[in-house]
Amino acid sequence: MRRASKTTARLLRRFWRGLREWCGDSAYERYLLSPHTQSGACPTLTAQQFYVEQLNRRYSRPNRCC
Amino acid sequence: MKRALKLVIWLVVALLGAAAFAKIAFDRGEPLNATWFVVAAVCCYLVAYRLYSAFVAAKVLTLDDTRATPAERHDDGRDFVPTNKWVLFGHHFAAIAGPGPLVGPTLAAQFGYLPGTLWLIAGAAFAGCVQDFVILFCSIRRDGKSLGQMAREEVSERGGFIAQLAVLAIITILLAVIGLVVVNALKSSPWATFTLAMTIPIALLLGLYLRFVRPGRVLEASIMGVALVLFVVVAGQWVADSPSWSRVFTLSGVALAFAIIAYGFAASALPVWLLLAPRDYLSAFIKAGAIFSLAVGILFVRPQILMPPLTRFVDGTGPVFAGKIFPFCFITIACGAISGFHSLISSGTTPKMILRESHARFIGYGAMLLESFVGVMAMVAACAMPPGVYFAINSPPSIVGGAGEAAASTISSWGYSLQAQTMTDLAHKVGELTLWNRAGGAPSLAVGMAQIFSSTIGGDRLLSIWYHFAIMFEALFILTVLDAGTRVGRFMVQDLGGRVWKPFGRTGWMPGVLISSAIIVALWGYFLYQGVVDPLGGINSLWPLFGISNQLLAAVALVVATTILMKMGRMRWIWVTLLPMAWLVVITMTASYQKIFDLNPRIGFLANANALAAQITAAQTLGLKISAEKLAETQRLIFNQRLDAAVTGILAVMILVLIVEALVHWYAILTRRKESVLHESPYVATQWAANYSGAAHGDD
Repeated sequence: MRRASKTTARLLRRFWRGLREWCGDSAYERYLLSPHTQSGACPTLTAQQFYVEQLNRRYSRPNRCC
Repeated sequence: MKRALKLVIWLVVALLGAAAFAKIAFDRGEPLNATWFVVAAVCCYLVAYRLYSAFVAAKVLTLDDTRATPAERHDDGRDFVPTNKWVLFGHHFAAIAGPGPLVGPTLAAQFGYLPGTLWLIAGAAFAGCVQDFVILFCSIRRDGKSLGQMAREEVSERGGFIAQLAVLAIITILLAVIGLVVVNALKSSPWATFTLAMTIPIALLLGLYLRFVRPGRVLEASIMGVALVLFVVVAGQWVADSPSWSRVFTLSGVALAFAIIAYGFAASALPVWLLLAPRDYLSAFIKAGAIFSLAVGILFVRPQILMPPLTRFVDGTGPVFAGKIFPFCFITIACGAISGFHSLISSGTTPKMILRESHARFIGYGAMLLESFVGVMAMVAACAMPPGVYFAINSPPSIVGGAGEAAASTISSWGYSLQAQTMTDLAHKVGELTLWNRAGGAPSLAVGMAQIFSSTIGGDRLLSIWYHFAIMFEALFILTVLDAGTRVGRFMVQDLGGRVWKPFGRTGWMPGVLISSAIIVALWGYFLYQGVVDPLGGINSLWPLFGISNQLLAAVALVVATTILMKMGRMRWIWVTLLPMAWLVVITMTASYQKIFDLNPRIGFLANANALAAQITAAQTLGLKISAEKLAETQRLIFNQRLDAAVTGILAVMILVLIVEALVHWYAILTRRKESVLHESPYVATQWAANYSGAAHGDD
């Protein structure tokens, strides 16, 4: 029983994390963890700057199909 | 022992699929149950994935997991982001699955359920999935380069230019045709118009929240947004019931067309975070939910398929669009079987996020299989309604003789019995004034979906809510394609204009933004307006044009793929991309020829223009007075038909030029007159452990 609840909790955690990744909710957290940001080669963007920059990039090329 | 068991399981899957297919193809007795479609499709997909995609991965592409992907080499957390394969599958699927796999099969249902279903399954397995998979692989090996860049580097400069033109052509025609689908779904429907109109302030609200209140918190904002959208679906009924509000939201086709054109301009010119992106979030969640619900609904309700396997319209006289099964079934169903537009996604964002080369099989091939399944579900939803109702909704008034008794009698004379009262009752049940003459696929799909949903939850009492939920779902994500497409088109126009005058190419220069937005909106807006006022319903001319341009882009993608395989020394397996390419060229050229030169005015653009011109001449010869307004309208129709013929001709010439270009290039490579240079990024060994799954915040 305990094992089943542990497995369920793990699956739910994975699903939640996947859902956040899929919709872009965790994109800024991911950006902060990236080797490029960690290296400090460029100034780190704020959450707001990152959000706008990311959208401008994403919607400047085909990203939705027919 | 384990191996034998696996073999037995796969044999059972294959036999089950074959049996279900045989049932669909040869059963001519009682109406079929939709479960057969699901079983046939799923078994075929499983076998195709297990065998064919594995063969392409191992023998043709020789995927190499020791090679670092662009996401690993350039991981910057912005463009190049190593992503878990399931998450990326969801991303890729959400990007490729638009209205096409829903609308195309619904329109092709006029031939009966059989041709469309066969093409959806076989086309996806042997052409569409292969295209997506191979282009994704090629782009991964080239640091995520776009299709146009790969065409320029691997085929020729001209090939790249043709790819760019094909993209602009497909965007223009695609946006016009999907705009027309929305117009036909919303016209004279205050409930649906109100619901869709309200998604704009909701998106603006979300945009401001995500920008200033909680930057980037997409999930919580989307949950709020989806709740608000569901509320306005219900509130739409109150608007429809209120005489004064109902009048405000009851719009004609032309008024709706102008509203959509204005919306497209605004979405392209306004900052992306304000309107476009939040609408996209809403659309993605509702799309995923609605498609999942439709699959569950079909499995739960298991509706009977009332449409025959083949209708009398296989002879080319169909009321929805004219033309025989070959080539028009294959042009009408592009997305769901093979869609050139996918190659832009496969060579855009996805290759920059993939963890390992081997994931390309699951994401490229697998996501397309799922899209094909969406197409099969749309076919089931369309074919589960009585054929008479299907034709009443999808036929233009000029074919069936308006609405009511006259139209019902025309449709009954085709052998699909229909009472006018049936349509009145159905319209009343779904909360619409009328369901006659709603060509475009969206309303008939919404009726099919609503019937499936209401059989699961709520019965007839909730039919109107489900219908408007389905209309909102279709219109919402069609408009998402429309605004995102307009913005991309704007960038392309700025890019082209920037070559002539540099400041025009600067994406932040406001006059350039406004002018380029106006140009791209005027381009598709013209075709949309033309479709709305077309007496043959617009879909008859615009949807085949869209299919031709989409398949043209697929041909471009497969030419690039074939060239790369040739340069990689995989001559033995070149048929994997060469055969689908040849098939596409044959159907595109045949359809183009028929659309231009066929003597039937409902098929051939020129014949239609000549017939209209002859009507004017005949009236003038007989001394009949034609009003100036009528004369101007007819002359505009004649011009539009000739314009459509010219556009089709240009698309056909582009294919021919590309094929000749590719053949010359291939000949030079094969005869070693030209050095075969592969523009792959150099090999870099991966540093990731074999079990690394890309989870950003630690794995369990």
